[in-house]
Amino acid sequence: MARIGVFICHCGENISATVDCGKVAETIGKLKHVAYSTEYKYMCSDPGQTLIKEAIKEHKLTGVVVAACSPRMHEPTFRKACAEGGLNPFLCEMANLREHCSWVHEKNDLTTEKAIDIVRIQVEKVKLNSALQPIRVPVTKTAMVIGGGIAGIQSALDIANTGHKVIMIERSPSIGGHMSQLSETFPTLDCSQCILTPRMVEVAQHPNITLYTYAEVESVEGFIGNFKVKIRKKAKSLDEKTCTGCGLCTTKCPQKKIPNEFEQGMGMRPAIYIPFPQAVPNRPVIDREHCTYYIKGKCKICEIVCPTKAIRFDQPDEILELEIGAIVVATGFDIKHADFFPEYGYGKYKDIIDGLQFERLASASGPTTGAILRPSDGQVPKNIVFIACAGSRDPAKGIAYCSKICCMYTAKHAMLYKHKVHEGKAYVFYMDIRSGGKNYDEFVRRAIEEDHVNYIRGRVSTVFERDGKLIVKGVDTLLGAQPVEIVADMVVLATAGVANSGAEDLAQKLHVSYDAHKFFAEAHPKLKPIETNTAGIFLAGACQNPKDIPDSVSQASGAAVKVAGLFSQNELTREPLVAVVNRTAPPMYSTCVGCFMCQSVCPYQAIEREDFKNREGKIVKTVAKINEGLCQGCGTCVALCRSKSIDLYGYSNNQVYAEVVALLNEY
Amino acid sequence: MNSLITRAKELLENKSVQVVIGYEAGPTSVARPAFITDPAKAGTLIYDERCVQNLAVYLTKPEVKHLGKMAIVATLPVMRSIMMLISEQQIFADSIVVLGISADGSLLDIADVKVMQGYIEKSDLGNPEKYKELLAELNKLSPEERFAFWQKELSKCIKCYACRQACPMCYCTRCTVEVNQPQWIPVQSNTHGNMEWHILRAMHLAGRCISCGECGRACPVGIPCHLLTMHLVDQVHNYFNVYAGTSEKMSSVLSTFEPNDKESFII
Ligand SMILES: Cc1cc2nc3c(=O)[nH]c(=O)nc-3n(C[C@H](O)[C@H](O)[C@H](O)COP(=O)(O)OP(=O)(O)OC[C@H]3O[C@@H](n4cnc5c(N)ncnc54)[C@H](O)[C@@H]3O)c2cc1C
Ligand code: SF4
Ligand code: SF4
Ligand code: SF4
Ligand code: SF4
Ligand code: SF4
Repeated sequence: MARIGVFICHCGENISATVDCGKVAETIGKLKHVAYSTEYKYMCSDPGQTLIKEAIKEHKLTGVVVAACSPRMHEPTFRKACAEGGLNPFLCEMANLREHCSWVHEKNDLTTEKAIDIVRIQVEKVKLNSALQPIRVPVTKTAMVIGGGIAGIQSALDIANTGHKVIMIERSPSIGGHMSQLSETFPTLDCSQCILTPRMVEVAQHPNITLYTYAEVESVEGFIGNFKVKIRKKAKSLDEKTCTGCGLCTTKCPQKKIPNEFEQGMGMRPAIYIPFPQAVPNRPVIDREHCTYYIKGKCKICEIVCPTKAIRFDQPDEILELEIGAIVVATGFDIKHADFFPEYGYGKYKDIIDGLQFERLASASGPTTGAILRPSDGQVPKNIVFIACAGSRDPAKGIAYCSKICCMYTAKHAMLYKHKVHEGKAYVFYMDIRSGGKNYDEFVRRAIEEDHVNYIRGRVSTVFERDGKLIVKGVDTLLGAQPVEIVADMVVLATAGVANSGAEDLAQKLHVSYDAHKFFAEAHPKLKPIETNTAGIFLAGACQNPKDIPDSVSQASGAAVKVAGLFSQNELTREPLVAVVNRTAPPMYSTCVGCFMCQSVCPYQAIEREDFKNREGKIVKTVAKINEGLCQGCGTCVALCRSKSIDLYGYSNNQVYAEVVALLNEY
Repeated sequence: MNSLITRAKELLENKSVQVVIGYEAGPTSVARPAFITDPAKAGTLIYDERCVQNLAVYLTKPEVKHLGKMAIVATLPVMRSIMMLISEQQIFADSIVVLGISADGSLLDIADVKVMQGYIEKSDLGNPEKYKELLAELNKLSPEERFAFWQKELSKCIKCYACRQACPMCYCTRCTVEVNQPQWIPVQSNTHGNMEWHILRAMHLAGRCISCGECGRACPVGIPCHLLTMHLVDQVHNYFNVYAGTSEKMSSVLSTFEPNDKESFII
């Protein structure tokens, strides 16, 4: 005989202001099988929970209904309380009187009646609940870090140093990301490569890290602790073990005029190339799109010159299948380029460049070995204009957000320019100077006060070319919107930071959310900034939104702690609210007919096949089987299965039917 | 139909198949299904205007499957049923031989599924002409009138489930109506419960019905229940541009999302 206890919560006044809780408790108390019914101001409080625990014992309850807020909020709380009271936690149900009733209706009799109905339904349901045991799943203690920028590097090193294995996937030929392209870094002006290279090398040498460059994620299946990942290792056309990285091939390749991505198009590279001198791994790859052999079918000069015979023209892409426990996404960002801006000539003027191009000009290892020379004629610009917020904070351009790093790197750029061209004049057009951060505002002040950079508060309406000069037309809003015109030799746009290419595709493969700008979305903007909405997948660095190095690194370490925390457990427990395909005696084995239409609709690929064999080992029937580890209990398959061969623990057909019937019946 | 008989005999003689499912003359003027296992009896096979039954329904019956590899006399609806059964994994393409019959009654050379698919794709896949007019008439009624029409029709249903038995797509080992935990569909026949049964059956066949009309033909009390599923054939085609039984890999049209699905009906 069922003995149900019902606990009506006032939720302060959230519920009791519109619902007559006393009447609900009283009416429900009279229902058949309800052994105890009461109300209380805050069921979730300690005394409230104690009330439940004691009632379970005192009234020998076989089921509990807590009529309060949304189960999303407090179901775990009350299940735990029931468990502590000696009842299987899955014999506890919640009736949502707050979101489904008191918050959406006015105070009147009908509202109270609806509240009674909501509770009644759950009483009927809980009578049919069964005691369930949590599902235990093992944890694969190997992490995958996607993206080898500074964020990915930091995360990988931190995880590896806790003693766990890390697989790092980088799609370009080398790790390093944008930081490897930077000259000096704000707010200290230390050389970017100098602080980054040792970390890159550490990744390559760390015994716990396996690095796959020129590789991308092909597919991701599974769930926290148990992801199954397929990686495509693109063919480098080279045997990495045989190659010594001497680079002879790169000097002999006849294709020499391919725009160099690392130099942001300001230099050229051959078809077989090492992206930059400090690259990790320091091995070339053949860019098949531009290689003469792949285009015309002959050349193979690199193969001839290679002293160790490491070139492999017929190397195929390789697909690796990996078992992964946790994933850190660190795929970084990209920036808009000059061609995005009609007002600045759509990229047709050679001397209007973007911030990353400026970084390469200022870099000692860059195309000008660190001299600031304008691209058109290689002259030193005497007047240089920096335009901040190029694209950012501009809803008309579809980018309403602040890119966060541009104010700082623009100050850095202006400073670097002044350090190299003492007699030159630097102007910065800005909207606001956003330099929050340790020693950040001081850094900007230094640019203005010590390096005499001219900061003009206002926007630039247009830039055009006249007699080999760039005419920058803007306004100075601090001088009453007075028009300003500057005749410049070079213009640097601090263009908006945007989501990296392929981010949307990757997010879909990972089943994690992304925002309207295709940046990866965090699970909660304040309290879960590192987690994604998929358990076991974390974010680090600029793939979430543009951020600077210190922020990227901090978040990367945060993600590493999340992974290490997960890996500190040998097993995870999951709610047992999963689907099950029935089993019956042979020769039927199951009422399932094996149409496998359920398999095609399961969003979590949780449905497998099970073969039944006779004594001779011949398969006599194949039916569907749910993988408990993968099933999320969504119920899609249950609704689809025509023969009703699937049921859902905790939400069985019988329970749902009882709820519907309860609603239709008088009480 | 000498070519059919010759071919059937040949298949049985060289043991390519163990049974040929076809039609033979019954004791009255109707044709009845024949299950020929002996090559000497192949001569009883017929094919003429009396042969209307959708024979595909037997392909999933354990007692027929038991006989071994099958050959089946297949008109367009049978071929489309076969396609559905393959895509729903009830039969395997290589375990049956299709003795295709063209619209004018001659034997087709259906070497494999690809050829069959080619033939199906070339054919008219909409609902048969003879039902189109009735469907159009029903569609002209107001929702209230239409409801009244079906209420009247379905009140006659005796829940014999002949419609289900005749349908090749109703191959479930246990039909929903046989589930009693909980009893979704009441056992006894009453107008309300009858409607529940028919709505359920129609929904189970949405996107799967291949317009053979067998369900309606089987009904002993003359309920045109095929018009329900045939209406859904039109609907599914209109919204998803899909006709059932046109490939061996049909996705479940109502339960899977395709990026180019029309969304005009989503409110
Ligand atoms: C002009 C400019 C100047 C800057 N100056 C400074 C400065 O002075 N100080 C400072 O603190 N910050 C500076 N920054 C910001 C700094 O570049 C970023 O904070 C930092 O690069 C973010 O690191 P990340 O690892 O998150 O991303 P990234 O550096 O973008 O690295 C991402 C990595 O992931 C890889 N990747 C992308 N997609 C995939 C995929 N699908 N699969 C596998 N791998 C993938 C990429 O190839 C790349 O290697 C500057 C930025 C710009 C644009
Ligand atoms: S939908 Fe139902 S009958 Fe079909 S395979 Fe799945 S469980 Fe079995
Ligand atoms: S309940 Fe959802 S997740 Fe589980 S097997 Fe069914 S469709 Fe898949
Ligand atoms: S009506 Fe539905 S459940 Fe019953 S046999 Fe047909 S498809 Fe299966
Ligand atoms: S017409 Fe009737 S018997 Fe034929 S496939 Fe459709 S529902 Fe089944
Ligand atoms: S065949 Fe006719 S009477 Fe029998 S269940 Fe179907 S509709 Fe009802």
